[in-house]
Amino acid sequence: MNLGTTERQEFAASVAGTDLVTVVGGKTQWGVGGAIDPNARPISAPVGIYDYTPSEMTLRCGAGTTIGDIQNKLGEHNQMLPVDAKDESTIGGVLAVGRSGIRRLRYGAVRDYLLESWHADHEGKLVKSGGPTIKNVSGYDLCRLLVGSLGTLGFLAEVTVRSLPIPRCSQWMTGVCDPFELQSNLYRPSSILWNGIQVWVLLEGHPADVAREAEVTGLSECSGPPALPFAGRLSLRPKLLRELPQLYKQDWVAEIGVGLVHLSLPINNDQNSLSTMTVMRDIKKRLDPTGRLNPGREVF
Amino acid sequence: MSKNFKVSLGIDEDALASCVSCGLCLPHCPTYRVTQEETASPRGRIALMRQVEAAGVADDTFISFMDACIQCRGCETACPSGVPFGPMMETTREALADQTSYQPRYRRLGYSVLGMPRLLALGSRLIAVLQRLRLIPSRLALPRIPLRQTKLKASGDDVWLFTGCIMDAWMRDTHAAVKRVVESTGAGVRLPGNEAGCCGALHVHAGLTLKAKKLANKVIEAFPGTNPILVDSAGCGAQLKDYGHLLGTTKAAAFSSRVFDVHEWLAENLDKLPKINSDEPPVIVQDPCHLRHVQRSHEAVRLVMNQYIGTIELDDDGLCCGAGGAYSSLHPETAAEVRTRKLESINRSGGTNVVSANPGCMLHLQQAGVSIQHPLELVDSIIARAMKRE
Amino acid sequence: MSSKRKKTIFDELKALLGSRVRADDMELQLYGKDSSVLSGVPSTVCFPLDAEEVQGIVNICNRFQRPFIARGSGTGLAGGAVPVGNPVIISTAKMNKILDIDLEDRIAWVEPGVLNLDLSKALKEFGFHFAPDPSSQQVCSIGGNVANNSGGPHCLAYGVTTSHVLAAEVVLPNAEIVTLGGIDPEPTGYDLRGLFIGSEGTMGIATKIAVRLTPNPPDVRTLLLDFADVSDGALAVSAIINAGIIPAALEMMDHNAIGMIEAFVHAGYPVEAAAVLLVELDGLSGAVEAAVETIKDVAKIHNAGSVRIAKDETERALLWKGRKNAFGAVARIKPDYYLHDTVVPRSKLVEVLNQVYQAADKYDLIAINVFHAGDGNLHPILAYDAREPGILERVHSAGDAIIKASMDAGGVLSGEHGIGLEKRDFMHLLFSAHDMFTQDLIREAFDPQGLANPLKILPSGSRCSDSFKQHVPEGVWV
Repeated sequence: MNLGTTERQEFAASVAGTDLVTVVGGKTQWGVGGAIDPNARPISAPVGIYDYTPSEMTLRCGAGTTIGDIQNKLGEHNQMLPVDAKDESTIGGVLAVGRSGIRRLRYGAVRDYLLESWHADHEGKLVKSGGPTIKNVSGYDLCRLLVGSLGTLGFLAEVTVRSLPIPRCSQWMTGVCDPFELQSNLYRPSSILWNGIQVWVLLEGHPADVAREAEVTGLSECSGPPALPFAGRLSLRPKLLRELPQLYKQDWVAEIGVGLVHLSLPINNDQNSLSTMTVMRDIKKRLDPTGRLNPGREVF
Repeated sequence: MSKNFKVSLGIDEDALASCVSCGLCLPHCPTYRVTQEETASPRGRIALMRQVEAAGVADDTFISFMDACIQCRGCETACPSGVPFGPMMETTREALADQTSYQPRYRRLGYSVLGMPRLLALGSRLIAVLQRLRLIPSRLALPRIPLRQTKLKASGDDVWLFTGCIMDAWMRDTHAAVKRVVESTGAGVRLPGNEAGCCGALHVHAGLTLKAKKLANKVIEAFPGTNPILVDSAGCGAQLKDYGHLLGTTKAAAFSSRVFDVHEWLAENLDKLPKINSDEPPVIVQDPCHLRHVQRSHEAVRLVMNQYIGTIELDDDGLCCGAGGAYSSLHPETAAEVRTRKLESINRSGGTNVVSANPGCMLHLQQAGVSIQHPLELVDSIIARAMKRE
Repeated sequence: MSSKRKKTIFDELKALLGSRVRADDMELQLYGKDSSVLSGVPSTVCFPLDAEEVQGIVNICNRFQRPFIARGSGTGLAGGAVPVGNPVIISTAKMNKILDIDLEDRIAWVEPGVLNLDLSKALKEFGFHFAPDPSSQQVCSIGGNVANNSGGPHCLAYGVTTSHVLAAEVVLPNAEIVTLGGIDPEPTGYDLRGLFIGSEGTMGIATKIAVRLTPNPPDVRTLLLDFADVSDGALAVSAIINAGIIPAALEMMDHNAIGMIEAFVHAGYPVEAAAVLLVELDGLSGAVEAAVETIKDVAKIHNAGSVRIAKDETERALLWKGRKNAFGAVARIKPDYYLHDTVVPRSKLVEVLNQVYQAADKYDLIAINVFHAGDGNLHPILAYDAREPGILERVHSAGDAIIKASMDAGGVLSGEHGIGLEKRDFMHLLFSAHDMFTQDLIREAFDPQGLANPLKILPSGSRCSDSFKQHVPEGVWV
């Protein structure tokens, strides 16, 4: 039997029942989507790295495994998972919340790193989706649906994620310049952050390339990104970031080229009526007919 | 509902089986590009041929699908499996012409005129006069035909220049320019007598193979000896090179082996061309399909041109311009749509003046207002200007 | 004819689309086939021009309870667009406009019929391209790419279609027009966009697609390594990845493939070699140059005969032309082919390749291997002549053996071609009945009536509402 099989079966069995149930990770993004119904029974996902072959650049682990443990393991072979989450976050939590890290500009969305998942459904049955290889189109792409679903459709038990080599050189630069112009002058920078005045850019790759691109920026080296405000979060099409200085008087840091804004005050996300609401509700109803999975969390 | 009739296409069975329907030909087919319909694609046409061959019956719809092909043979150079689409289409049309009413009398009559130089000259003269009198409706989209033409004179016996039918009647000035460029290498040019006439390409395209064979025999007789035969029309050149296959005789094969597109011959004799420093702006090269996809000698045009002038490439992978011999007269709407794509590509290229080594393409694009010349007309004028300066 | 005659579905479609609806027998046959070995016959073919027309067609199909199937360029390799259940084919080929290129947001809105390569060509002047580049990219449509979540050689470094499509306007099976996803980074709600991509037309028809633009790399180097032994080539693949390099593309072709390709492109592929690796490196010059050196070292260690580096863009294009035209060149060996698309762990490449050759030997077939070695995505082609009696059974058996070998190695059924009609009955090798039941539950949320491309992806029996399973057309080989 595969390593991890027992763990995921036990986890699924712990989901079974008719009561309300919630899965708890590192609680680093616990508030996202609203408060959990206090009557929900907390459970936690399996912990442990079951399989890691560096040459496959894939890692299989229990969903309760922390990002710190995963990065340490991958780091032994000069690899990483470019999600930029806190060490104490769990991989299951990061995927269920679905928020990408500040290096999304280069490495893409966190959803693209989930290759295969086992989740426990509302009856406590295990469901496998995707496949362990870095490329796979066998069957419906449930992995994508689960990422960002806040555990409302099923609880991740085990995941296989894709890793990448750690770049040979990483350098943060900062200074004052037009971040949009900066973006067009650089070839695939890892991150460009902007607070309306100051710009931070992360260059990663071969030392010679990083040095050359650093020169292009005309900025000076710094030790890292600024602290990101975390009270509010705004998702905009990238070019709208230009208008931020006129729109917000509070502190904010925007991810140039991505469109995310980290705000120091909560904002009212105006509830747009989604044309897809019916389908979303239907999916929720089909996968969790009694609404027992993560009650209280709202995805839409 | 159109009526079914019996027909046997007689296409080689292996050829018919050789298409794996991968679809890689689709974007290289001008009629698929403008219709986006399978019936107008090479893959679709082959599938239709298979259907008819299996059933032994066809209908007018099938004929119209086959007739809509421009026979540019762009699909052949695109096909990774080397499916012989051109010959399959020619066989199909021959069978349709023989066994059905595909080629009505009036069309056959039109094609016959091409093989009658005197009649063609007379007719052209008549059109030219009527054009001056504004009696030819412009929707016929005929080029402006010269009232009188200077007779070409032989200058030696090193190479032959093939003069053809329509081109000789309507565009003899082009022949004259080509002849001067060939002569500038020091070669003497010999000309065929009037009996040479039409190469028969349009007849093959129309499925009138028997007539094409008769013309081929006449042409072969008109070029005795072993000297190279130079052709300045890509369509005619492709046809002359195919005589060996068309007639299946050693004599015809020997004839075909003497045929060169004039640019091919010049490319072999670049060192003999006059050396001239010119500062002409670069010119767009539009490859005639029968030079690029059939003779596959379009690079020679660039080699010659680049002795005198820079060349600009189009970004459409040699997609047909829609001329297709008689196609633009028989299917004016499709031909114009195909041409629009070419015009867009010309606009994107950044250049303005175009050269194309085939009279059909020249006339078709000229009608859309493109400034176009035969490549050697341009070379001839560059050489002439330089001579004048000296 | 009585004017009170009940209107047929054809009449209604005709009223909607005029001459852009067809039911001529000969023409219908052409829409019965894609690039797979399967075929069927549709009842009607429609050529809509916009979302409203697609909506109209879907409405009519709903009213007549008639299945409908979207079709792009018809280059699918798994029978995803092959008609089942007397359906209406909705060709998106005429919806082929690039609607908007937004360089600031780095996205483009395109219609589904836009050809993949046409899009990248249109983006070239701005210094961008659309990263997924299936080998059929010169003809396959973006709509088809979305339906199949297509890959391509360069997906090793850049990711497959789902990573490059941000949003899609979709006509749902109930004829409602909705937008899935969004061009902002965190659209509200479940990722229906991600679910829709790769759903092979069973969740609706995309009528507008927002694709991400990828900047063209400043430096590109293309290398060709040849090997006298296939195993050496396969081991070199893992060695390259182990060295911490993710090439833009890492392709392998075996002896049969090389011969067939070279006959078409004349690119100087070494026809005596047992295998070649086509490696592409791109990015900034420092990284590219360092990677070239590393690969030269790997080549030496793994007994490569030589390392040829394309000297210019022309040579590079020629080498790629060979690779990308491979499937179409099979007729140079045999007129028909059947291929699988399994993915196996890179470390199992040698083992599985050997089993592919053994299977071909056992059933007296020719195996041609040309595949995305970097991500372990095999494309074993079994070449045959359908006119040979009894050949299909042998091809079928050899195919089963290949699938089994791949699954035993811990692989998956399809890396990029999709499941369609051809691979659906292998799904149980990968998924339990409950897995597939769950997938179907979700599909049903989009298409409760089961009219959108029925019988695809999931095997009969796993679907709650398979009303068309009795109608697998004659000649279909499943």
